[in-house]
Amino acid sequence: MLSENLKWYFPSSLPQAVKLIQKPGIILHAGGTRILKTQSKNIIGLVDISNLKLNYIKSKTNSFHIGAAITFNELIKYSKENNCLKMLAAALSQAASTPLRNRITIGGSLKDFPLWSNLYAPLIALNAMMEIKGNKSGIYSVEEYVSEGMIKSKHIIKEIILPRKEEFAWKVMRFALLKFEYPLFNIAISLKLNGKMIDDSRLVITGVRNRFKRFKKAEKFLIGKNLSLNLLNEIEKFVEPKFVSDYKYSSSYKETIAKVYFKDLLSEIIKENL
Amino acid sequence: MKISFNINNQNRELELNPNQTLLTVLRNNGFTEVKCGCNEGECGACLVLLDDKAVNSCQVLAMSVQNKKIKTVKGIGTLHNPNLIQKIFAGTGADQCGFCSPGMIVASYSLLKENSSPSDSEILEGLDGNLCRCTGYIKIIEAVRRSSSVLLKNNVEAE
Repeated sequence: MLSENLKWYFPSSLPQAVKLIQKPGIILHAGGTRILKTQSKNIIGLVDISNLKLNYIKSKTNSFHIGAAITFNELIKYSKENNCLKMLAAALSQAASTPLRNRITIGGSLKDFPLWSNLYAPLIALNAMMEIKGNKSGIYSVEEYVSEGMIKSKHIIKEIILPRKEEFAWKVMRFALLKFEYPLFNIAISLKLNGKMIDDSRLVITGVRNRFKRFKKAEKFLIGKNLSLNLLNEIEKFVEPKFVSDYKYSSSYKETIAKVYFKDLLSEIIKENL
Repeated sequence: MKISFNINNQNRELELNPNQTLLTVLRNNGFTEVKCGCNEGECGACLVLLDDKAVNSCQVLAMSVQNKKIKTVKGIGTLHNPNLIQKIFAGTGADQCGFCSPGMIVASYSLLKENSSPSDSEILEGLDGNLCRCTGYIKIIEAVRRSSSVLLKNNVEAE
């Protein structure tokens, strides 16, 4: 249960907000869904980001800039104009429900990185960057942000910077036995094709040990290869997701399922582009 | 403390604690048409429109939406002055126990306001945050389809 003495702050600038969250027990409030799920008694103050003017999507020559306060549904609606936004939107539209997607923000989902997040896999597969303010201010790749432990530092996510890419093949998926269950994992695959040849590839899974895994050996293996269903058998040995067992599923069960879906998604991409 | 809200086009000052959800605040202040089902954002019984977007009021901290426009099902239509969608829900037999109906109406209204001619898959997506334990959804989906065709036939928006 959240404290009855909870204090609310409504700063109008990023520096003000950054200063506020340095105090123990004071955290950011964007959509608020995660705060209500955890109901932590340790929270003594909430810094609402609605006055920080972070609800924007800017289309620039080489990139899209997505403000942290943009909700999943706002992004989904905007996504029709570009292939990489479509990939992101395809993943986000599988998350939660319509009314929840009207509240869940990009920034909130990135800051908390719940294991079930649909957001990280496509962002890493798209080589997205992010700008943060506060401790360790700067622009980092999303991959770096998670790997380097920056996620735990006291900061505000200002925006996501998505490199503008048009010509690439992609697939995303979220595995859950029921729609309303949190997914066991998310997979995102992006392949840059030059005719039938694979020029670049990014293969990502989230929900595994250490939050996410890029199958770099598999990515390297694919580069320079021509699309062929034979690749599926060869790539299997490079895809080894490591999961943690939980009260419902063993790690080996999750590993087996994830491998099957990985091959299925790759197979779909190959068949669509052969 | 007292905080200002605009509810169903009326400015209201409501008594609340800073840790309370919009659902709790609305119900504590007489807006009992907003139902409390799961309190976890999964059943949709508590849906309201927040600046014209459907949200689970149980998943919104009330302090974060002060001065925003909130619309409950009674802001869409009342017993004596029902909205077209409400009339069609009743006429189609799309409600049985009625507990999910306020949320279903809010979700349908929101969907049809944005897209007056939704496909079946768009209807399913628009109602994906609402659970009904009685009807089996067939009549509800039919009611949305019928609402859409009447709106289109009359060339009006879902008002």
